[in-house]
Amino acid sequence: MIRTLKLYGTLIGFVTILVFFSVQLPDTFLTAKNLINITQQISMLAVVACSMTLVMVMGDFDLSVGSMASLAGIVAALLFSMGYPVSVGIAVALLVGVLGGVFNGILVSFFGILPFVATLGTLTMFSGLAFFTSGGKTIFGRDIPATFSGFARSGLQLDQIGLVGLKLPYLSLVALLVLVVVWFILEQTIFGRRLYAIGGNQEAARLAGLKVRTLRLCAFAMTGLGAAIAGLMYASRVASANPTQGSGLMLDAIAAVFLGMTMSEEGEPRVLYSIVGVLILGILDNGLTQMSVDSYIREILVGAIIVTAVAFSSITKQSR
Amino acid sequence: MLNLKSLAGAIVATAMSFAPALAQNVTVVTPYLAQPGTQMFVEGFKAEADGMGWNANIVDTAGDVAAVISRIEDAVTQNVDAIVINVDPEQIAAGLEVAREAGIPVIGMDSGVSPLLQANVTSNGYAMAAETSVYVANRISGKGRVVMFVFDPFPPVQIRGVIADAVFGNFPDIEVIDRITPDVQDGGIADSRAKMEAILAANPEPGSISAVWAAWDQPGLGALQAIEAAGREGEGIVIVGIDANPQARDAIAAGGNFEASVAQDFVGIGKATAGVVSRAIKGEEIREDVIYVPTVLITKANVGE
Repeated sequence: MIRTLKLYGTLIGFVTILVFFSVQLPDTFLTAKNLINITQQISMLAVVACSMTLVMVMGDFDLSVGSMASLAGIVAALLFSMGYPVSVGIAVALLVGVLGGVFNGILVSFFGILPFVATLGTLTMFSGLAFFTSGGKTIFGRDIPATFSGFARSGLQLDQIGLVGLKLPYLSLVALLVLVVVWFILEQTIFGRRLYAIGGNQEAARLAGLKVRTLRLCAFAMTGLGAAIAGLMYASRVASANPTQGSGLMLDAIAAVFLGMTMSEEGEPRVLYSIVGVLILGILDNGLTQMSVDSYIREILVGAIIVTAVAFSSITKQSR
Repeated sequence: MLNLKSLAGAIVATAMSFAPALAQNVTVVTPYLAQPGTQMFVEGFKAEADGMGWNANIVDTAGDVAAVISRIEDAVTQNVDAIVINVDPEQIAAGLEVAREAGIPVIGMDSGVSPLLQANVTSNGYAMAAETSVYVANRISGKGRVVMFVFDPFPPVQIRGVIADAVFGNFPDIEVIDRITPDVQDGGIADSRAKMEAILAANPEPGSISAVWAAWDQPGLGALQAIEAAGREGEGIVIVGIDANPQARDAIAAGGNFEASVAQDFVGIGKATAGVVSRAIKGEEIREDVIYVPTVLITKANVGE
């Protein structure tokens, strides 16, 4: 019984939230339109949470994802404003993401700096770079090509499957794609199993012959790439780039992964569970706004839910 | 989790029990609620909204502009009667389009002009510049040499300079000896001070500079520092700014060269926004894209109020 609660507590909480909003908002919550909306609203956080899961399975963190997201948006927007085509802006921004991630990886795996400290440092560096390259200004208006900002406003028409007039936003599709790729990497490849092995016991993994340094480096590079993808999605959605706009993503992503970890038997991060964490956060925002609940009370509730879920899972773990 | 659910329910129920039945639902979305100006907008808006019995929901996204779009989508799903925004409309066009499709009016509270908004309620930059430039012209009796600090790259400040140019140009005996665009990287005070020091050095004769007109407060404060550092505060150089920020108010209260600035009526903008929302909810066609709320000239006489 306790074990069931431990494993399914968060899931039960998630379902409870769904039921609660469905009852409170009978006409608007459980509609195809609103649910599609939610997938778009959480898409950027989902991408960051998925890529954060890659390093968190090794017991590491990447605190720099938010400022990397901002930096990627700024890099792309600056290139757009200099007249480069959209494809070049996107490619360079993604490259910056990978390079930033590699830099994090080198600090963590080759210099042996604690990820918390190393990525706290690069958080500040990336943020400073974003401010420096943009001159602290928001880049918007004519500098952002319509093809780029239009991406976040378009999607696949869903008329064929009976949802007339609705479309599946491209942002949601990108998030889904990232989820599938990360799931495949972590759950279906040897590379993924090795990351979990490092998370289980780094020393044992090394003694077993795993190239721990290279593996960690690769994982951090992928997390940097994910952060840059999220930053581009954000910039497309707001049709502008600002040196601080991604900063809120980092803590929410870590919170989502933690919420997900309470659902796994071994207390490990699993990318599908991370998505449940993202959904909990996104659905709370969506539902509570519709119920006109004060935004500060919303914050208190979200924090309380995270603490409750984690506390619940650790209490049940002790009593097992 | 069950306890949590009942806690959530209790909080939600408390929050909702204050809402009168069948009241109009108006959602205000801003990423900037932590800023004093925005707080005063919201304070003014809330006061009016409460008076009209609306259920006003204030949503702060803590600096997250993409979340503003999400919360507008939620308000549209909730089918509110009107939405108020306090953020650049261009950045949240995706959300405004959703509201337009649903036929829900969106009103800007000092946000910017956009065809996706019913109207934007703000202060009149032209009028503010007219107030201070006419103040300068009158103080120097329509005669003298004036230094202007402008910033044409930023449209809201550029329009202030245009008006001051026109006012000074209308006085045959007023000569604009310099029209300076300070470097604003450091906030505008330090570079303006350096520029003013150079002008003072180039015009060493007492009385050779009659006034400094600044398009916002910071260059005026920089000019004041330069004049005081040069020991020329006794020459009667009149300095004016715009915005009436706390530092400018202190300078005005001190009774030195910095004599006047213009204050926006933030609470008034919030109240006027509620008025526009009320008109929009009634289905009235709002012809004005921009609705201006009067500003107040701040001098030593009223700086303490």
